[in-house]
Order: sequence, then structure tokens, then C-alpha cells
Amino acid sequence: MAGPPRHVACVMDGNGRWAARRALPRTAGHAAAEAAVIDTIEAAHAAGVEWLSLYAFSTENWRRPTAEVDFLMRLVRRTVRKHALTLHARGVRCRFLGAADPRVPPPLARDIADLMELTRDNRRLTLTVAFDHGGRRDIVAAARALIRDGVPAEQVTEESFARHLPHPDMPDVDLVIRTSGEQRISNFLLWQVAYAEWMFPRVLWPDFRAGHFWECLDAYRRRERRFGAVPAPATTEERTR
Amino acid sequence: MSDDTPTTPAPGAPDPTTLLGPDSLLYGFCDDARWGLAVVRATALEAAHPQIGAALVENSTFVAHPWRRLRNTLVSTQRVLSGDPAVRDREVARLNRLHGRLTGTDERGRPYSGLDPAARAWVVATLFESTVTMCRLSGESLDGPTMERLYAEFRAFLALLEGGYSDHLPPTVREFWPYYDDVLERGLENTEALRIILRRLFAHIPPPPLLRGRPAVWALGRAVAGPVAAAVVAASLPEAFRRQMGVGDLPGAQTLTRGVHVGTGVATRLLPEAWTRTGTVMSLLDPDQAAGPGADALAALRRRAGRAGALFRLLTPAPDDGGADGTAQRPADRFFTEVLDQTGDGYLEWPDLAAMAREIATRLDLDADGEERLYEAFAAWWRELVAVLDADGDGRVTRQEYAASAGSLAGPALIRVAETLFEAADADGNGTISAEEHRTLFRSAFARELIDPDTGGRYSRSAFVREFVAFMAGRRNSTSYDGLLAHG
Repeated sequence: MAGPPRHVACVMDGNGRWAARRALPRTAGHAAAEAAVIDTIEAAHAAGVEWLSLYAFSTENWRRPTAEVDFLMRLVRRTVRKHALTLHARGVRCRFLGAADPRVPPPLARDIADLMELTRDNRRLTLTVAFDHGGRRDIVAAARALIRDGVPAEQVTEESFARHLPHPDMPDVDLVIRTSGEQRISNFLLWQVAYAEWMFPRVLWPDFRAGHFWECLDAYRRRERRFGAVPAPATTEERTR
Repeated sequence: MSDDTPTTPAPGAPDPTTLLGPDSLLYGFCDDARWGLAVVRATALEAAHPQIGAALVENSTFVAHPWRRLRNTLVSTQRVLSGDPAVRDREVARLNRLHGRLTGTDERGRPYSGLDPAARAWVVATLFESTVTMCRLSGESLDGPTMERLYAEFRAFLALLEGGYSDHLPPTVREFWPYYDDVLERGLENTEALRIILRRLFAHIPPPPLLRGRPAVWALGRAVAGPVAAAVVAASLPEAFRRQMGVGDLPGAQTLTRGVHVGTGVATRLLPEAWTRTGTVMSLLDPDQAAGPGADALAALRRRAGRAGALFRLLTPAPDDGGADGTAQRPADRFFTEVLDQTGDGYLEWPDLAAMAREIATRLDLDADGEERLYEAFAAWWRELVAVLDADGDGRVTRQEYAASAGSLAGPALIRVAETLFEAADADGNGTISAEEHRTLFRSAFARELIDPDTGGRYSRSAFVREFVAFMAGRRNSTSYDGLLAHG
């Protein structure tokens, strides 16, 4: 039987709808998402997943109403501060994609930098929060880096390109979970999801719990077993060799 | 006047070339982190000299920027002691130009000058006596011949500054002590500078660059260490001096002083040699500095300190959770305190701008002409500032006056300052600032967004001027300029 996926990514979708169904403001949905985030991290930790990526806030989200963006920033800050010590104690290395945007409030940017610094040497689970992240932007950044390094066109391969992405140590995603039944990529980690398996549970993100996470892992294992004969979803090592 | 310092000593004077160099006792002390205690103590004794006290109070940045000043002093002394006559003479000429600009009248209307020979002799005398005292308190008293040699080195140092010869310090150690006691008894006053050093310096000392992002950690450490450091310095001062100046003696302070000195002495012997070098301590406090030997151990230490700081900050309540600090612009009030008021007296005056020019000239190691151009540009900016900001016409700008019209700081004279600074920083004169030139001025690498792709990864003149004016007008924060001019 195959082991757990090495790299799981979650698109945390459905906060707004969760709130709307309860006649609450959208911000209440974001606030309720915190419990789901912590539960998912715990579940991934227990299952032996080495890389967990959460899609929190995309570049496009800056276009949302200012009050909602402000609320989200404060929420992220509160969550970071509240759980920093637990995450560190569990051996979780925390990383944030795209937190360098000048629109990120300085106190939050400092807390994020502190959390990354504090947990830098942990190895049990690497938690990547795609905060203000755009998949295409990463690819453009890699292309720029290649051009700056003066790599001749014929020497650009998938491997050399991948090495120029921000966070080149991040392995390819094995499993993507997008909640609330939406079936879109939304510009998330475009390069890394090339061979990923996708799951679309109907549950809204604030209701997502460890049980749902286990179900997804289970389904992933069964899929792998079913397609075992034909080219299996390869892991990074196999492809780069 | 002293720009043309003769390189050959006058007959009969101590020969600087043989006495001062990397083999000298002085060089060894300079490289010993303990010497910091002696320097602070000597500064207290110097501050009681009316001429020096006035110059310190009016011009010095040591209250607001003690770390920067400590570093500059160290670099300067190392240059003088480098053993290379060209480097040494250039540095001496620069020091003399710097001190030549420190002139004025004190609060009682007496003129003072940074070049006054008797005052400069007293500075050297206090440094010598403080070094001797430091050794005695550490339980490693200097023997007769060593003391003679150290004294000769200090005399040679003074002679260098005075252009080859000075008869303001007695020729031998035996004659030195009566001179020292005489000044102590009759030449000193309870100046404002002395009061600031003993009462305010340690209580208000801003965090060193390493801890700048961690004010809570620094405040906690300072609350404990500040009074201890002040008590140690005060208790190590000569008995007669303390009585005369009314410096109180805390019970147990003498024991504490001995303990600290012996402790640092023991630490110097037990810790790896690289750890107790002044340069190591400075680079530990100032991560921007290039790391020398022992860099690995240092980096590990710094990482651990960084992690402890990060954890501490994450666990302490966030006072600014409301998100009010959401802009990249700092309030006018903080900009005034952190950048403009270099002397830390609560007013913006010419000495504040002169201190900025002095810091930049020191960093870039400018020659006499370049320095003159820079000071003139800053002086023109000062005239512009007074004309615009000084509402009550008292010749200085208060915090309120600044806050009332903070936006109007960016006049033509400020742009001229930016251009002069650009020309000074552009050492090879090719019209752009290279990575190397940037590092000399800011001790840090470029911020990526500043690099103009059209000039091949260099910093263009227009981008430089724009950035400088935006920073100086308080419109934008800049880590580079913070490192150069803000607290530290």
C-alpha cells in the first residue's frame, strides 16, 4: 500500500458562502476558518505528510473591499501569534509565499518574518502558506531569473526552470484539496500541480475537519492503487532523475 | 590649518612611526572589548572639562547615536594605528578637519574649539589614566616599564594630532600624575555634558543595530544593565572628582565595579580570543558589518539571538494590533526624533545637520574638498530649513514647528544635498552608483527595486536623488538611510 502523499495543498474555499448561509458578514466566515486550518495542520502532521501548502490569499484578493482585506490581515496576524509556539513545538517549519508585498501591513510582515525565523530549522512538516501568491507570477519570476543568469535557450529544461522558481526546494504537489465543490485552479502553484491528483469535497472550508482530510488521503491512496499499472502520479525524485 | 600635517616629527618629539603601529600596546587595548569601559569612563572625565563639555553638548551625537559613534571612534583609531603612514596621516588630517568644525561658545559665553591644544591633551590624558585604572581594577596592574611605554604611545598619538609636537602633556609618567591631579582639582567643572553622561546616557541608550527590531528585549535588558553600567562607571572615577562633582556613591558600587572589571578580565582570558575582540563585539551588535574570523560561531550566536527575539515578540502582546501602523511612512514626530535630531536635545539645529554631514564624510572617507562641498550643501539646506520652518525666529526648529510644516522640507537645497551626496558616493565618477559604492555608503546591498534595469544593475543619479529626497522629507522609510542616519 502506498504511503501518504508527500505534498498536500489545500485551496481554502467557501468562507463567504459559509457566512452567507448563516446570514453573517463574510468576515465571520474567515474567522471561522481558523479552526479548520489548525485541524488540517494537525491531521497532516499526524498522517506523516511532509509538505502542506495552504492557499490563503491570492494576488487577486487585493481587489476585495478594503474593510475585508484589513480584517483578513488582522486575522492572519492573530492566528500567527496565537499558534506560533504550538507550531514550533510540533516541529513545523512555516513559510509564507509572497508576504513581501508592500501592501502587507508592517506589523504582520514582522510577525511573519519572526515565525519563519523561529521555525527555520524544523523538518517534521513544512507548512507553506501561499499568502498573496500568484502561480503565474512565480513562473514569470523564474523566467526572469533564467534570463538574468544568461542561460542559453537550448539549455532551459523543465528541471533547470524549476530550479529558478521561488522556493525551488518545494517538491511537486501530489494532492490538491479544494473545498466547497468549486473546480477551478485559480492561479495556485501552477507549476507544481502539473501531476497532482485533485479532490473537490463539497464541504465549505470553515466546516473542514481532520475527518475530511483523512477521507481525502484515503481516496488518494485508492486512486493510486487503481492506476498502479499505468504511469502512476510520479514523485519529484522519479521525474528529475 | 592642520590639513597639511607634517609627516616628519619635529626634533625631540616622540616618533609616531616607531611607537604607533599594530605592535603597540595601544593597538592591543583597542582590540580588547574591555577597553570600552575605559573609554566611557574617560568620556565622563573629558566632559567635565569646560571646553570639551561644551563641544560635546553642542555637537556630539553620542546620546542619540552612541553605537555609531563608538564604531566611528574604533575605525578611526585603527586607521591611526594601522602602521601605514599614508593611511595614518590622511586620518589625522580628517580628524583635525572634523574637530576644527566644532567651535562655538558655551552657555556662559566662553568660546570653545575642538582644536584647543590643552583640551586635546586632557582627552589623551584621561584615556591614558582610564586605561591604567581599567588594568588596576581588573587585577592586572601595569608594571613600570609597560606604563612608561603606554604613556609614550599616548604622547605620540597627541603629537600626531598636533602636527608633530605637543608640550601639553608632561614628558614622563612621573610628571604626568601631578599634571593630572592638578587638572582634576582645578580645571574641571560640573558641566551639562557630565550630567548627561552620568544620568542620561545609560538610561536612554538606543538599541544596537542587532536588537533594533526588538525594542521590548532591549528595554528589558537596559532596565537591568543601564543602572549597573552607570554605577560601575561612576564608582571607577577618582575619589576627589566624585566628591567635587557630587557624584553619589551607591553602597556596594565599589565592589560591583571591581567585580565587573575582574569578571570581564577573566572572561577575556577564558573565552576564545576572537570573541573578546572589539571588532567581534561590534559586528555582533551590528549585523551589517562584514564578518571577520570566527564568523561561523558568530552567525550561530546571532541566529540563536534572532530566534529568541522572534519568539519573545510573538509571545508578547501586540500593542499595535489595531493596524494603525499600516503605512510605510513614519509619523513626523518619530522621524524628527530618529533622524533629524542627531544630537538628541529635542531641537533641530545646525549641529544636527553637521552631524549628518560628518557621518557621511566619515563613511565615504572624503578628502578636504569633497568634505567642504558636502558641508556647504548641508549648510545651504539648513538656511532653507530655518527660512521655512523656524516660525519664532530663535534659530532652531522645534518639534512643533517641524510637525506644522513637515511637507515643505523638500526644497531646492535638499535636492542639491542629494546631488552632492551622489557625486561624493560615485567614487569613480561614472554617473552611476555601483554595488561597491553603495556598500561603502550604506554598508548594505542594493534594494532590488532601486536598480534601474536600463543602467545594467546600477543605481542611477535620478533614482538616488529621488530616494534621498523622499527619505529626508519623511515621506518614505528606507532601510539604507535608516542604517546611515537613524538611531544607532
